[in-house]
Amino acid sequence: MAAPIRQSLFGVAKGRWRFEGLWAGSLGSRSLALAAAPSISGSPWRLLGAVCLQRPPLVSKPLTPLQEEMAALLQQIEVERSLYSDHELRALDEAQQLAKKKADLYDEEGDEQNVLLTQDMEDAWEQKFLQFKPGARITEADKKNDRTSLHRKLDRNLVLLVKEKLGDQDVWMLPQAEWQPGETLRGTAERTLATLSENNLEAKFLGNAPCGHYKFKFPQAMRTESSLGAKIFFFKALLVTGDFSQPRKKGQRVWVCKEELGDYLRPKYLAQVRRFLLD
Amino acid sequence: MMNGALGKMLCLKNDIIFKQAFSLLRVRTSGENPISSAGGILLSTSRHYKTRPIHGIGRYKHLVKPKEPKKKRAKVEVRPINLGADYEYGVLNIHLTAYNMAVVESYAQYAHNLCNHLSIKVEKSYSMPTKTMEVLRLQDQGSKMLPDSVLTTHERVVQISGLSATFAEIFLEIIQSNLPEGVRLSVKEHTEEDFKGRFKTQPELEELLAKLN
Repeated sequence: MAAPIRQSLFGVAKGRWRFEGLWAGSLGSRSLALAAAPSISGSPWRLLGAVCLQRPPLVSKPLTPLQEEMAALLQQIEVERSLYSDHELRALDEAQQLAKKKADLYDEEGDEQNVLLTQDMEDAWEQKFLQFKPGARITEADKKNDRTSLHRKLDRNLVLLVKEKLGDQDVWMLPQAEWQPGETLRGTAERTLATLSENNLEAKFLGNAPCGHYKFKFPQAMRTESSLGAKIFFFKALLVTGDFSQPRKKGQRVWVCKEELGDYLRPKYLAQVRRFLLD
Repeated sequence: MMNGALGKMLCLKNDIIFKQAFSLLRVRTSGENPISSAGGILLSTSRHYKTRPIHGIGRYKHLVKPKEPKKKRAKVEVRPINLGADYEYGVLNIHLTAYNMAVVESYAQYAHNLCNHLSIKVEKSYSMPTKTMEVLRLQDQGSKMLPDSVLTTHERVVQISGLSATFAEIFLEIIQSNLPEGVRLSVKEHTEEDFKGRFKTQPELEELLAKLN
């Protein structure tokens, strides 16, 4: 459903996104050198700070068959080569004592020492292990493919996307806000996060430097003397705790992993965003 | 290039005098140390021992740079270097803690190799002493505590320096995303307390100091 709409949007707003093919990703392109060089007050580019909020994976990825075989083999080698542990030595001693008792058929006083036989301990441990139930790797949200929940895809990075209205179209993008003079771009990104979540989300910014950028020119109709286009700088943040309190219908949000980004983002934007996403 | 050419010349069966004159000329005009050029050892004028041409054939110490003697307690307290746009961190400690020693050691090895590969300078890579914790479980009937298990906490530290701010972000993300199960990561700046925490406490020394004061 997303694809035909996108194509029609492309057809309708020709001037808007077509120029990215020429300018995207190349800060050193000739015709824009004039725009990049002057001071901020005179620059025709609007600056936006965007935050790429990532939920780090909660569970490790399942091993491939090769890795599993290798792990099993190494474990076997290790067990065969290792020395006996205290527990095993005790078990062997007790086995010997029992054998001696049976053979000699006389009571020893050594029974008080081993009130708890190693066999009993092992049985108790086995019972406790059976009672323990690990959490599910594939959660409900996975089965339903509910992209708005955070409990999906526990072994992957999930990125937050929001739907915003740009002009007259609804566009999926990373949450962004306009830069105000006097604050750093990272401050812009933090402000974006705060306004978006109403202080429910706690995120950790790893550094002050942006991890990616994207710039585009406005369509001819929207261009004025002072605004030729916009440059968006992405900052990476890792989600520590928190989630959105209620699902707002107005600004739709989605937590998406790297492959699914293609369903939502525009191609050029996507190409730039993909460059800084590790997976 | 000169040495190669000389060698090739020597291999050819030429007139010896012609060879000598040529090589001497070449060596002198190139301005190299006559002893260190390969082809010129036999034909150089400054021999160590006149009648034995191969005397000192195995000498190499004069070619190796002298190693600085290592100080016993080298305290490296590097302040973070501000270079304008490029902010560089000083000495950082990456602490990896886990209960499982094999996993933590192999991950410390991986982190060290990663730093080497990314040409980040690793000052040292050491381990903190292991802490043993005995878990006692309260008995179901009664108040006696039964020993349940013994947990040993192992900690490995990789000390790096010269991390630029732009790269630190990516580096931290790589390390975080590749953490194995059960390993806790903590990245801190190196401080005096960290350095002194590795030494054993010396009660006699402390007593003497207390007596002095």
